[in-house]
Amino acid sequence: MKSSRVAKRYARALLGLSDDRALLETWGAELECLARIADAPEVAHGLASPEVSHEARISAMAKIAERLELSYPLRSLAVVVARHGRIADLAAVSQSYQDQLDLLLGRARATLTFAREPGVQDTEAVVRGLEAMIRKTVIATVKVDQSLLGGVVAELEGKIYDGSLATRLGEAARRLAG
Amino acid sequence: MLRNVISMGRVPIARVRSSAEGSPIVSIVLVGAALLIGAALFAPISGWCAEAGGAEAEGGSWLSLLPYIINFGLFVWILMRFAAPMARKFFGDRAGSIRETFARAETALKEAQDLANRTAERMSRLETEKQQLRADLDAETAYIANRIRELARETADRIVRDTKLTGEAISEAAQRQVRAQLAEATGRLARDLVARNFNDDDQTRLLRGFEERLAQEARR
Repeated sequence: MKSSRVAKRYARALLGLSDDRALLETWGAELECLARIADAPEVAHGLASPEVSHEARISAMAKIAERLELSYPLRSLAVVVARHGRIADLAAVSQSYQDQLDLLLGRARATLTFAREPGVQDTEAVVRGLEAMIRKTVIATVKVDQSLLGGVVAELEGKIYDGSLATRLGEAARRLAG
Repeated sequence: MLRNVISMGRVPIARVRSSAEGSPIVSIVLVGAALLIGAALFAPISGWCAEAGGAEAEGGSWLSLLPYIINFGLFVWILMRFAAPMARKFFGDRAGSIRETFARAETALKEAQDLANRTAERMSRLETEKQQLRADLDAETAYIANRIRELARETADRIVRDTKLTGEAISEAAQRQVRAQLAEATGRLARDLVARNFNDDDQTRLLRGFEERLAQEARR
């Protein structure tokens, strides 16, 4: 809970640095990249080691940001996060940044799980249906799970819209069992 | 109790008798009486002897008996003077002790009778109490027996009720289990059939249905 609040503050601070939506999108992608690198087990283990001094940790984060050729605000953010001992919260900061940016830009993220590899038309049709329902732009992440047997399951804004055959069969079996 | 009281009343009488027999006064009185009787017996004999001797000697006289008579009179006087008061006192004391003993015996008898009456009264009271106790015990026993009977009936009813409920629960659980197994088998069979026969057209049809549902949600 505390970590989530801290992540929201960092994300809000970064979002407040610009009104340019394209720039905010770029920063979001860069922040995600930085968080992924910092969250990698070997890097996270090395940075969290007590043998590494605080200054060395700050310096390492600055070098990572430089190597990734991040924009100036992201490099500053990496150093600030390292200075405040919040490197482990970078993934949460990135997630919170994406959530707040989506809210700001009026869009939502959805996870679509198909039973079979979907065609582009199928994916777009489902996304359109979701967009019409929530009246927002939907950014979809597509997955495939054959245990669904058929159909699709969409997860959007904490809700699950289940159109899979496995669920229908399960419900039929439950009704049969009484 | 009564016997003890009576025996207690007898003890003083025996004690008085034994003490009177051993006292010197009694001895004196007995000796005096013996002397008096002896003198009365032997005086005529002396006269007859004198007459007999006089008849043979022709010189005897009744005056020769005078000293004996005087002696006897003295003896009687001494006896009346000294022994008679003691004898009277003895017999008076004796009569008093007998009266006292008799009174004690009467008192003891009266007490014994009172005791016997009280005992009889207590016995009759005990009998009444016994009957009352028996009646109370009978009532208590009847109450306890009824209570035990009611408890037994309640317990039996409860056991029957519990058994019925348990039986219904077991039956329901068995039915549920059978239904669950049947549903599981049916579901497994259906999944196998679907997995075997599901094709792209089916997938497209399902997706269209899903989109239709989303559209319905959007229209709400």
